[in-house]
Parts: sequence; C-alpha cells; structure tokens
Amino acid sequence: MKEVRLIKAAPAFTEVITLSAKKPFRVNQLIEKNIKWLFPLPTGLFIFLMMIFPVLYTFYVSLTDWDMISGGRISFIGLDNYVNLLKEPRFFNSIKLTLYFTIMAVGIEVVLGVAIALILNRDFRGKNLVKLILLLPMVATPVAIGLAWTLFYEPTIGLGNYALKLLGLPASQWLGSSKMVIPSLALVDIWEWTPMITLIVLAGLASLPQEAFEAALVDGATPLQIIRDVTLPLLRPTILIALVLRCIDALKTFDIIYVMTTGGPGFASETLNIYAYNLSFNYFRFGAASAALVALFTLVLACNLLVLWMRKTYEL
Amino acid sequence: MISKKRLSRGMFLTIFILSLMAIIAISIGAAPKQVTLRFVAANHPYTDVIKPLIPEFEKKTGMKVNVENYEENQLTQKLTVEFTSRASTVDVFMTRPLQEGRLFYKNGWYHKLNQYLPAAGWDWADYPKSIVEAVTLNREVYAIPIVTEWKTLFYRKDLFAAANLKVPTTLEELEAAAKKLHNPEKDMYGIVSRGQRGAAVTQFSSYLYSFGGDFIKDGKCVIDSPEAVEAFKYYGRLLHDYGPPGVTNMSWPQAQALFASGKVAMWTDASVLIAGIIDPGKSVVADQVGVAIFPAGPAGARPFQVVPWSVAVAAQSRQKDAALEFLKWATSKQVAKTAQLNGLTMARTSVWNDPEIVKQLYPGLAESANLTGPIAVPYDRPLMTAVGEARDAIGEVIVKAIETGGQADIASLAKIAAGKVDVLLVRAGEGPN
Amino acid sequence: MKKRWDQVGWNEVKRIKWKEIGWYLLVIMITIPFIFPLIWIIAAAFKTQAQIVASPPIWIFKPTLNNFKSVFMEQDFARFLWNSSVVAVASTVLSLLLGLPAAYSISRYKQQTLGVFILVARLMPGISFLMPWYILFSKIRMVDTFSALIASHMLVALPLIVWIMINYFDGLPRELEESARVDGCSIQTAFLRILLPISGPGIITATTLSFLFSWNNFMFSLVLSTHRTKTLPIAIYNFVSYAEVSWGNVMAAAVVIITPAIILTMIFQRYVIKGLTVGAVKG
Repeated sequence: MKEVRLIKAAPAFTEVITLSAKKPFRVNQLIEKNIKWLFPLPTGLFIFLMMIFPVLYTFYVSLTDWDMISGGRISFIGLDNYVNLLKEPRFFNSIKLTLYFTIMAVGIEVVLGVAIALILNRDFRGKNLVKLILLLPMVATPVAIGLAWTLFYEPTIGLGNYALKLLGLPASQWLGSSKMVIPSLALVDIWEWTPMITLIVLAGLASLPQEAFEAALVDGATPLQIIRDVTLPLLRPTILIALVLRCIDALKTFDIIYVMTTGGPGFASETLNIYAYNLSFNYFRFGAASAALVALFTLVLACNLLVLWMRKTYEL
Repeated sequence: MISKKRLSRGMFLTIFILSLMAIIAISIGAAPKQVTLRFVAANHPYTDVIKPLIPEFEKKTGMKVNVENYEENQLTQKLTVEFTSRASTVDVFMTRPLQEGRLFYKNGWYHKLNQYLPAAGWDWADYPKSIVEAVTLNREVYAIPIVTEWKTLFYRKDLFAAANLKVPTTLEELEAAAKKLHNPEKDMYGIVSRGQRGAAVTQFSSYLYSFGGDFIKDGKCVIDSPEAVEAFKYYGRLLHDYGPPGVTNMSWPQAQALFASGKVAMWTDASVLIAGIIDPGKSVVADQVGVAIFPAGPAGARPFQVVPWSVAVAAQSRQKDAALEFLKWATSKQVAKTAQLNGLTMARTSVWNDPEIVKQLYPGLAESANLTGPIAVPYDRPLMTAVGEARDAIGEVIVKAIETGGQADIASLAKIAAGKVDVLLVRAGEGPN
Repeated sequence: MKKRWDQVGWNEVKRIKWKEIGWYLLVIMITIPFIFPLIWIIAAAFKTQAQIVASPPIWIFKPTLNNFKSVFMEQDFARFLWNSSVVAVASTVLSLLLGLPAAYSISRYKQQTLGVFILVARLMPGISFLMPWYILFSKIRMVDTFSALIASHMLVALPLIVWIMINYFDGLPRELEESARVDGCSIQTAFLRILLPISGPGIITATTLSFLFSWNNFMFSLVLSTHRTKTLPIAIYNFVSYAEVSWGNVMAAAVVIITPAIILTMIFQRYVIKGLTVGAVKG
C-alpha cells in the first residue's frame, strides 16, 4: 500500500503534458473519464485504416472492371465480375483445390495431433525437449521450409524418392504430378502444424477436471476406455477450436504453395489464394481479383460459421 | 514485488518517442544532394555486366545510380503496381517488349524516344530493322533493345559421339536421338525443355511454328489449328517419354541446372542461356556443349529470334534528362561490346562484326545466329496485351500434353484455351476487326 | 499420496520396464519426423553441391563454410538480416504500444464488439490488403520505406498481441487495481504502475510471437518490400529464381533465417507454447 501512495505522488504522464494549460486536473479527469475510449482508440484507428479501408476498397473494386489490359479506366459494372467468376473453370478448380488441401491437411493434423498428445500426456524425462522439437516446425520460416521440401521432393536427387526406394515403393514425381502435388503440399503443412494441435490438446488435457477420471478408474475402466469415453468427449471443445484455427489458416495457405509450385503443374495446385494473387499481380485484373478475394473471405467465414453452427446444434 | 518489475512511465514515454523518431528517420532517409537515378533491372546477365561499369558512369557524370534487380516476373509485377499507383520513383528500367511492351505502352508508362534517336553517338542505324520493330508500336520507339536471343538446340558432344549420332536437323531426328540417349536407369534423360505452365510457352513456340502453327491470326487465337494440335502432341510426347521427371515444374533455371549437372543429353531453349552451361565453375559438361540450329518440322525450321530485353525511361520519371543520359550510356556501343565479350548476344550489329569479339564467341554460336536470322520468327509468344494470362491458358495445354504424353484430347483442350485467349484479345481491343 | 489421473493411467498399469522402454522408443519415433528435416537443412548448408545432390544421400562428410561465405559475401545477406530485424522489432514495439492499452480496455470494460472487430483481421486473406495498401502508401509517398512494411506487419502483430493480452488481463484479479483505485490512483497510473509490471509473462508471450510472425512474413514483404527494404524471406526466394539453383547456398540462407527463430523459441519456449495455444483452451 505504501508503494501505491508513492506512485500517486509522482506527476502523472498526462499531467506533464497538460502542465502548460495550468488546468492539469480537469484535462486529466477528462482523459480518466473517457479512458475506455481513449485506450483502444489508436488500435481501432490503425485497424480501420489498414484493414477496414482495404476491405471496403476490395468490395468496391470487385464491382468495377478495373484492369490494366484495357488501359486502366475504371467503370462500375455491378456484379459482372462475380458472374464471370462463376463461368470460369479455373475459379471452381481453385475452390476445389483449396477445400481438398484444407480438408486433407487439417483432417490428418487433427487425428495425428490428438493421438500424439494422448501419448505424450504424462510426466517424463525430456518432456520439455520433445515439446521444443514439436515447436520448431511451427516457428521455422515457411519460405525456407518450402525450399527445403522442394529439394526433398526433387524427383532425381531428392530424399523423398530415396526413402520410397528404401521402402521398396515406386518413385513419385511429387510436385511434378497433378495427382501428387496437393498431397505433397499437404504433407508439408501437416509437418508444420500437427504440433500445434498436439500442444493445444496437451494444454487442454492439463486443464481437465480430475474427478471424471478418478470415477472412471474406480469403475475399473481400461486406459483405452478412458480415452474414448472420458478424455475425448471432455476434449471436444478444445479440439474444435484447434480445428477452426487450423482451418482458417489452411484455407489461406500461401507461402509454401507459392514458393514450391506457384500453382503448378498446370493449375493443379492453384488454390483460391494463389488464383487471386495471379489475377491481381500477374494478370493485373484488379476487378476480377477482388471478386475472387471476396469469395475467399466468404469461404473462410462460411467455414467458421459452419463449425460454430455444428457446435451449437450438436452441443459439442 | 511490484516495484522491482516496474516499467517506469519515463521508460514508456522514451521508448515511444524513440521508436517514432526511428521510423521518421528511416522513412525520410538522407536528403539527396546530387541527381540520384533509380534503375530497376532484371536478374539477367546484362545486369551482371553493367553493374561493375556503373561507377565509371557515375564518375563521368557526377550522378548517382541505384540499381535494383528482380526476378523477371517480379519485375513486371513491381513495375506495374508502382506505375499503376502513379507514385513511381523509377527512372530507368529493363523491360521485355514481348511480355509487357503493349501493356505498358497502352497505359502510357514508357517515355517515347523517337525525338532523341538521332542523337550523336547513339548510332541508331547500328540496330537491324527487325530489332527496331520489336520495340516500336504505332511508329513510336518506346525502349532501346539490349540483347537478342534465338531458339537453339544445346547438345552433349561426347554423348552424341559415343552413340554415333549426328546432330538432328529435323524434329523426327530429334525425337529419335532423344530416344536413343534416354536412359533413366542411369540418371540420363534424352531431352529437356521447359514444361512449367506459363514459362513453357516461349520455348514451345518454335515447335509450334515448325509444325506450321501460330498463336494468333487476324485477331483470333489459332492454337487449336490441326498443325498446332500436332505440335502440342509432339512436344508432350517428347518430354513425357524422353524428358526428366518433374519437367512440368521446370522453367529455364531447373532445365539449365539439369543440363549443367550432366543429366540430360539435349536441351532446347534460348541462346542466351549458354552462359550457364559453358562456365566450368557451374557446369560439369562445360567442354562438351554443342550448339545447333533448331531442327526443322513439317513446315521447315522456324525458330524464334526475339529481343527479350530492352531498356526504357519511365514516363513518370521526374528527371528525364538524366535518365536519358543513363539510357544512352547503358545502350552504348562500348557497353554492348563489353557485354558481348562477356558472353551475351547483343542487339547491335556492330558487335557481331568486331573481330576481337568474333574470335571470342563460343564455336557454333555465331553460326547458329547467322543460320537462324533469315528464317526466324520475330516473336516467341502471342503478340497481345494480356500476354501473362494468355501464356497460362496455352501453358495449361502444354502441361496436359506432357502429362499424358500427347494422349489427352489435345484438340478440345486447345480449343478451350484458344477461346480464353480470344476473350482476352477482345477485351484489350485487339480482336478481329 | 494422491496421484494425478494421467500418471495413474500409464505409470501404475505399465510398471514393467520393457514397456517403459517401448514407450520411449515410440516418443522418439514421433519426434524424429519433426526434427529430421531441420537437421537435414542444417547439414546441407555445410555440404558442397555435389554432396547435396548425391544419391544415395551422404550422411558423413567434411563440413564446408563456402555456402555461408557466398551467402554473406555475394548476396549481401547481412543487410537483409538487418532489414528483417528492423521491421520485426519496430512492428512489435509499436504494436505493443498500441495494443496493450487496447487489450486492457477491452478486458476491463468488456468491449467485445471491438475484440471481435480486431479478430476479423485474422480471418481476412492477406492478399486482399496488398493492392489497397499499395495505393494508400503511394498516396502518402511511403512505398519505398520501412514504415510501409512495418505498418503491414503490424496488422498481423496487433491482433495477436491484443488477443494474447486480453486473455492475460482477464486472468488477473481485479482487486489489484481496485485497491489502488481506492487509494486514489488514476486508471492510467494503475494500468502503468500496477498492471503492466505484473504482466511480464503475457507481454513476453505477445512480444515473442509477434516478432516471430513478422520475421517469417513472406506475403506482405513480397509486394511491399523493395530493393532497399528487402527482408530475408524475400531474399532467399529471389535467390532460387536467380540463375542456377545452388542448393548449398539456399540451405545456408535457410539456416541464416531459421536460426534466430529457433534460438528465440528455445529461450522463450514456455511463452511461445502459451501464445500459440492461447484462446484455444478455456482454462
């Protein structure tokens, strides 16, 4: 308490500023009264300028025919860009690939991540080291990771085919084949992000109530039964949130795909994000690109709402 | 406990002010005292040659030149975005007439050069007519050509000698040679050429022409013609059957790396890329590189010969006089000669006649240039504004052809692609009249 | 002595030694796939081109420093390293300055609308910002500057910091400030002098993560960074698309980029885990 009084005696930050006004108390009070607005104001302004403006701008541009090909004139064309997108096979291809990539990557990540968390969920020597190792793929720069995996996937000199050969499996073209390219990219994402699920679930496990387990043990349940009947149901909300977080990011995956394939071979890995990038920064069709971005945003939002709705309906 | 970890208000304020000052200082930077030019270049051998020469220019003129270089697609991107925003500070830049020439011209981003061409010392007559045409639209010259390049066939002399093969002169012989030298068990592949979607189009073009096809005729895309379909099938079969794995992700750096590491017997690509495979520091087959003219197809040999790179002055530049001075120097005979001596193939006629240079040229290169010149097609991609998107559309057919070894329904795929290109032509006002 | 349930499940039932060993083997098998690629990258960075492309792979070799030499001598990587640091530090510090009071206010006054509003920034695909930003920055003549890059990275850092700190402040007992307020302390003073000093763990979490995200950012820098402000991720990407693919150099560059991130993670492991899992676990 003594400490606090001492602090009070010191001139406040705001008082210093208003000294010249000779009404330090009133201004200070004004700030004090409105602090719930003043504190978040800079952040709010910044977010508005850097996010809301771009979003509104994107919506606006998506309703115009702005492109550099026809000389850069901008005129309002209503929903034409959206109608054209719906006629564009590349657009549907990119949506399909985005969902394919996301479902494959996130699906495997959740199953693997939860399984690893359940295995690691005990005290043991070196637990921190294992956790550290699990952290590394997540914090390593994606561009560098993408390049390294490109080398692994290199059909003639890469480790990927060498490993397949050791296992007696036929060589794969990895990124060079239309069929394999998305699974290959998903594998990188799985490598990067499975640990996140594991760490989230581990944290969730630590916060579960002990009573349920004790009761189950008293009933003579086996470890597997406990996992199935007690642990997993209790973990459901945690897993669900982890799933949503991963979905948001997986739908927006850009770095590794851009670095490893730029959407190729052909358009076999051109996800919505890459397609929108191509439209705006390679074809300079800003109108169409904005429409594609609105579609991507809608997809991300829809994915979230879907999960939230599921959560409500099934009371997960 | 609290007092120990206290973050004092003074600290808070100090950090805040310091970081603000730091940001302001960084954004303002040092105030320029002299003329400082911004030259935006590509990752290209020409840039490597000119960079060490620039101090010379700076000493002579008292200007300062800041060179930036970007990968070619990123360069187009950067320039377009910057010019679009109308806040560009670019003075001089490297530009690809065939790729972005029409786009930039249409948007008025090039400073027109006609009035300066007669200037003393520039010797505009030194450029062949076809090359001048490459940088002219509506009789306005918008850039100065730097280098030329043409489609060539690189091959491994040792492998050809060992297999008792002669250098292919027709596409049939090319396929036969590829077949004979293809030995994937031993990590040796018959032939490589670009297979990556957009990048493949320029290298596919010579095959297309030699089969009698073309990209555009009278404002319509004609890559669905029977000749073009045959060319797609041939290219797809060649690279599928005798090409390296993963060829559909390969542009020139990957193809070049493969040839330089001795894993492929033949490579068809632009002549300028020879530099990377005859340099003993980068290539294990440096002393075994053969250069030949592109083989003839059903319609004869029709390799491309183009001006891939030129230099231009930005219309938005605020110091055009200085920019022009730099442009003149960068495209001068003297610089061209230095570049040519460094293994580039320059656009000026004079450098090809200089005995000192002729003596230094890689054997076969000059010959292939002389043979290609008269039969060449002056473009390696569709001549249109929306080149980028058109290349991707056509490239998709190439990728499908390679993936299926030419077995897919190329005719319908080509028709779809042609339809897409037609839409782009019409949108840019380049459709049929 | 009462056992925790998770110890009961495994430790009690599986007393037998060989089962224990089997379990450790399992853990090792799980960990290897996650660490192996990184070890491979580091190894490749010290190999010659021939050793990297050799098949079958070479496991034992005499390390060479040539790759690092050419990365720093020929490619000016030191400058990119500096650029990356400037951007990451500045965007983190500025985001803390803006974000801490905002998080405090959102936490204390339950300004959930504002919280959600800030969270939307996380949902938006980053690409949709790029073109508008470019136009915005060029209007105020900021394109070729660090400020533009820093501002863009702040859009990632700020929501992150705000969300981590809301969570942290929510967990702090209100009585702390309230007793200070009773003593006549103003809210600002209470925030600065009472709350912030005990928020160390939260601030460290937020700072580390914000730094890491900025350090690793590729997309924003791809469009907004120029020759002068080029950051490491862009530099290494340019590296590959330029001339021949020298895998040794690429891997050396990768090591240069990844090492600071790894070191930071090692030091602040606990906080990084907190930050990455924050909000997912309702404690």
